Amino acid sequence: MSLLQVQDVSVRFGGIVALDGLSFDIEDGQICGLIGPIGAGKTTMFNVVSRIYQPTSGQVMFRGQNLIDAPAHGIARLGIARTFQNLALFPTMSLLENVMVGAHSQGKVGFARAVLRIGASKENNATREFAGELLHQLGLGPLMFRPAMGLPFGTLKRLEIARALAARPTFLLMDEPASGLTHGEVDELGDTIVAIRDQFDLTVLLVEHHMSMVMGISDKVVAMEFGRKIAEGTPAQVQADERVIAAYLGTTE
Amino acid sequence: MKSLVTIKEGSIGHWVLRLLAAAIVVAIMLWIPTKGSNGLVTSATEALTLMSAAMALNLILGYTGQISIGHSAFYGTGAYVTGILVSKYEWSPWLTFPVAFLFAFVVGVLVSFPASRIKGVYLALVTLALALVFPNLLRWPKLESLTGGGPGIPNGDSALDTTGFNIGRRDGQMRNFEIFGWDPFGDLRGQGAIPFYYWIAAGIAVIVYLVIRGVVKSRAGRSLIAVRDNETAAAVMGVNLVATKAFAFGISAGLCALPGSVTAIRLGAVSPDIATLTILGSLTFLIIMVIGGAGSLWGPIIGAALYVFVTDRTGGWADDEAIPGVLRPFFGWSKIPPGSGIFAVILIVLMFVAPRGLVGVWKQYSPRVVRVVPRPAGVAHDAKPALVADTTTNSTPEGESE
Repeated sequence: MSLLQVQDVSVRFGGIVALDGLSFDIEDGQICGLIGPIGAGKTTMFNVVSRIYQPTSGQVMFRGQNLIDAPAHGIARLGIARTFQNLALFPTMSLLENVMVGAHSQGKVGFARAVLRIGASKENNATREFAGELLHQLGLGPLMFRPAMGLPFGTLKRLEIARALAARPTFLLMDEPASGLTHGEVDELGDTIVAIRDQFDLTVLLVEHHMSMVMGISDKVVAMEFGRKIAEGTPAQVQADERVIAAYLGTTE
Repeated sequence: MKSLVTIKEGSIGHWVLRLLAAAIVVAIMLWIPTKGSNGLVTSATEALTLMSAAMALNLILGYTGQISIGHSAFYGTGAYVTGILVSKYEWSPWLTFPVAFLFAFVVGVLVSFPASRIKGVYLALVTLALALVFPNLLRWPKLESLTGGGPGIPNGDSALDTTGFNIGRRDGQMRNFEIFGWDPFGDLRGQGAIPFYYWIAAGIAVIVYLVIRGVVKSRAGRSLIAVRDNETAAAVMGVNLVATKAFAFGISAGLCALPGSVTAIRLGAVSPDIATLTILGSLTFLIIMVIGGAGSLWGPIIGAALYVFVTDRTGGWADDEAIPGVLRPFFGWSKIPPGSGIFAVILIVLMFVAPRGLVGVWKQYSPRVVRVVPRPAGVAHDAKPALVADTTTNSTPEGESE
């Protein structure tokens, strides 16, 4: 069975149809690229999976469980983490604390135990070490005590990845991880994504406009336009698809 | 930025520094009731109750980012729970503290439900309504049998000059302090009523501080700051927004009720006319918190000390002769004590030069003298980060921690 099955998902905002009966599957361990022109509904798709948006109809099955039944904060515990296109970090916190919040779903200490100090510092230290390791692995170790506010965009993009990994996910959604990065950073990012997938045993759903990167690292690509799927297959198949070419370049008709 | 001394977190030097700071705090707290004048002890008691309330407000506003102008209602809830239980039901005042906490906790949780739907200025308006309704609720004739209506619950015997709690008809409440015949507060009582109230207020302030410190330094506290900084991201990380806000509001309200109880005990009476029970109280807590530094543990403590210092010093300034010569031209026009006006000016200036309050200034400049280097987290196994092909893009070496 596929890891993620998106089944006939539609999202309407008033009269605007953002997603129109979208269906696709992702297999365990794949890197799946989700492409499409701006406004195709890629980010909407993301927000449905991470439960920020409620779909008008359809369902999203993850390991046989319907995600639509889960609350937004329950997604992390199921092993799903995501990064945001335009950064959704905690600006006043240090990089280390940002990643520690990323591990929230792994922790147990609530208000009562925090007040009574039952196991709170033990958990804190464990989380702290784990977060520090992740930051070192992503090359952010030397910056870990700096507040996230005011650091370069590329650095913060990597912080988003570290924070997502802190939830020990099995499924990672990345919303345009390459946007706003320089050419050198984009090449590096592709390698990073593959390395993360291999090291953490992840399945990755990637929304990206940066075609060379998507086509270079994806096992499978889903192309969208106007909230519908127009092509699905290997990068080569999708690149050759007439409807994809038409969506991106227009037709001569 | 160069610093004079650099200390590693957790090193002996760091512990010495921390113990020194703790010793200074303890010394000040012991010095005030033993050596200070009665006026100073009363002012310190006032400061301790205000700082407890401001610390409670700080949890929800400073850390969680939920604006509340309704904390005077929680404060008043504490005062009235204590007042009613002691005067009408002859409870021991000590037992009223946990009841006041729980009662205000429930009210706070109820208030949090609109708070989980609305944000910013709209939440400020909802809580403002709470602050405005509360004194009127106390005067409501249908509740008069409980709250005493407009006059409130008067001091039972104002001539009573013992240290006993003296709320309503009960006097000599000290009897209730005995635990199986043992009176642990006998020695304190011997010092007279004023230091006794000081110690109650100090005990509550310490409890409130420890509770808030425990929360904010833990996973729960990080989730509060996460909610403040970015709700959507916090939810994606697994933070239950509704439950987190409800708990934070509940704890904040419950803690704010404790200094309210202290006020009831100290005054020996409660009434809807006590300023801290009205919207003025909310604003006072807010100003104290903002001046000291919102979202910092010590902010409300510093803010309350400064607030009481300024209002005390300027308390007699309605009389021109009491104003120090240099300042007389500035405040000579004032027919009321200009304390709140002076504080308003301080607030405005501070918002320009130090928007993070006095503690923010401290945090900015103290590293020039002593900088505590945080304990490193995690180990860099390889010289080269495992997941990054090329680290040349780490373009900000300046300010790295060594």
